[in-house]
Amino acid sequence: MANVLEVKELSKQYSKVLAADKVSFEIGEGEIFALIGPNGAGKTTTIRMISTLLQPTSGDAVVAGHSILKAPEKVRESITYLPDEAGAYKQMTGIKYLRFMAGLFTSDIDTLNGYVDRAKNICGLGDRLNDKIGSYSRGMIRKLLLARAVMTKPKLAILDEPTSGLDVLNAIEIRKTIKKLAAEEGMSFLLSSHNMLEIEFVSDRVGIIAKGHLMVTGRTDELKERYNAPNLEEVFERVVKENEIH
Amino acid sequence: MKFINLLKKELSELINAQMIMGLVVSLALFWLMGNVMQSVTSELAEDAKSTNVYICDMDDSDVTHELIKDMESSGAKVNKVTVNGEDYASGFKDNSFKSYVVLPKGFADQLANGEKPEIISVSKLKSASTFSGLTGGTDNTEALINKYVSIEISKQKGVSEEDLKHIESELTVVSHTVVADKSAKISSGIILSKITTTNMILPIIIMVLILMTSQSLIASISNEKIDKTLETLLSAPVSRGSVITAKMLAAAIVALINAGVMMFGFSAYSKGMTGALTSDLGVSDKVGKVLSAGDAMKQLGLNLGVTDYLIVGVQLFITIMICLAISIILGALVNDSKSAQTMLLPIMMMVMIPWFVTMFTDVNSLPTVPKFIVYAIPFTHTFTAIPNLMFGNTTELWIGLVYQIIVFAVVMFFALKLFKSDKILTMSLNLGQKSRFKKKGKTIED
Repeated sequence: MANVLEVKELSKQYSKVLAADKVSFEIGEGEIFALIGPNGAGKTTTIRMISTLLQPTSGDAVVAGHSILKAPEKVRESITYLPDEAGAYKQMTGIKYLRFMAGLFTSDIDTLNGYVDRAKNICGLGDRLNDKIGSYSRGMIRKLLLARAVMTKPKLAILDEPTSGLDVLNAIEIRKTIKKLAAEEGMSFLLSSHNMLEIEFVSDRVGIIAKGHLMVTGRTDELKERYNAPNLEEVFERVVKENEIH
Repeated sequence: MKFINLLKKELSELINAQMIMGLVVSLALFWLMGNVMQSVTSELAEDAKSTNVYICDMDDSDVTHELIKDMESSGAKVNKVTVNGEDYASGFKDNSFKSYVVLPKGFADQLANGEKPEIISVSKLKSASTFSGLTGGTDNTEALINKYVSIEISKQKGVSEEDLKHIESELTVVSHTVVADKSAKISSGIILSKITTTNMILPIIIMVLILMTSQSLIASISNEKIDKTLETLLSAPVSRGSVITAKMLAAAIVALINAGVMMFGFSAYSKGMTGALTSDLGVSDKVGKVLSAGDAMKQLGLNLGVTDYLIVGVQLFITIMICLAISIILGALVNDSKSAQTMLLPIMMMVMIPWFVTMFTDVNSLPTVPKFIVYAIPFTHTFTAIPNLMFGNTTELWIGLVYQIIVFAVVMFFALKLFKSDKILTMSLNLGQKSRFKKKGKTIED
């Protein structure tokens, strides 16, 4: 399986805080990889560096063969990014928003229409797409944004806390969509979440991050077995304690 | 106790660093305005106390010599002014005085014949500010001449009731106004009224335009930051330069539409005002043959031509660009809707200060420190552009324009640098509040 993303010792130093410290991992084609950790662990900083939003202090990441340092514009053609608690332009209708965002990825009208049709199918908002986004519920906005993030069939979709703040039913629906896109279309996902039980359900592999350090990566069943834990939460607890001892 | 608890919570929300900053800025504004008013009122007071009288004795007769002696014996300090022929502008060789009175040839003869003698009052206009017409007039000189003439006519005609009535209106004053090296037969008050009435709306348009443009760009950037749509946009395959250029261009187009609509309204207003002034003012002068306000403006070179309006247009365009560049930086500092409102404050101050100052007085007449503060504000040069063009202060105009271009280049450089760096996402001005980027000593969100 070819790697869509290779993160090589990525670090980010803010004035006094080392937000990410030599973070390294990779994601294969069609794989769902999740960075898990508590708030302030460095998940968003790592994701923002891979999305070319932040400049790394050191290290590099290669997305679909393009370095985030040397060819950030090529990286942006290969990814889509859904920020945590992101909104959309409230004065636009859902359909206009999708067309606007699709227009940033292609100038070809047929391709654009194809992206929008795909997003319409994925989000399942039907006629509500003709309403202004300002009238949408949080769940509807998240579905719209997820559809926007995957409509262009990016090589890597980066989703920061994709289900945060959603009710159980909406969260399940979004998880199912992610799994389906990875399984049926071979799309790769980089997720972040502090909800470890959710990640256990949706991801193929996880990376446990705390205080800017990526402590361990592996398949969820492997990690549970290695740390003799019934779930990812307990794996996380043991990993953190083990690293404190060392 | 519960109420005190509630009150403390409400007060802590209202009394914050943003509010204190607003108060400090307001105090600074009042201090500056105080300085402006002080310089204006002290000039008025000095003018009132002044015993200086400026006279150009063209008649050069025994009567005029006696008149000058009489003035001196009344306590006036008479300063002689020399003029080349009828070129009254040549009388102002230095800037030590703003007006003088001419005793024209035939003054003594008119008086000897029992006629109302004519004198000429010449005033120099250097700015269009409200207070510029309040100082340096020839009223004191006219009163002294009046006194002398009254006595002389009384001696000739006796002190009958009829003669007294005649004496009461014995003096005919012909007003001349000088602007730079040109003069026109019209009172400076009429010219000033015309300039004020036709031009008062223009600074308001500039102010509204700057505020609307800033507000729209700050809101555009801050809304994107608050809703996190900016992160989505910047991670899309478009350059950051395109994102910011699109925002600036959109704000500039809206500003242009606003300016167009306002200028259209202004021209209709100006037309109405000009018509009223031409018919009501100037022509009613008793002497007759007095120019209409419009003709006088033309003769004095106060009417702006196509080139002048082009220069004003260029200056307005640069002003809008400065305003947009500053707004990018201010928009980037926003991290919530409350701080978005506060961010307009610096722009508001930068517009209000020059507006007030230029409305009331000439910036050059301010004390050194306030003068430099006012000139350092780039928008000041937009407010002074039209008066500078009118009064021929081209050096000041070009210096202002060059200064604005430099300010724009510097601010734009920093704005672009900011927008292309991490800071567009991580920077915030919290003014005492804990940022969501700086929780518990951390400088990042996650």
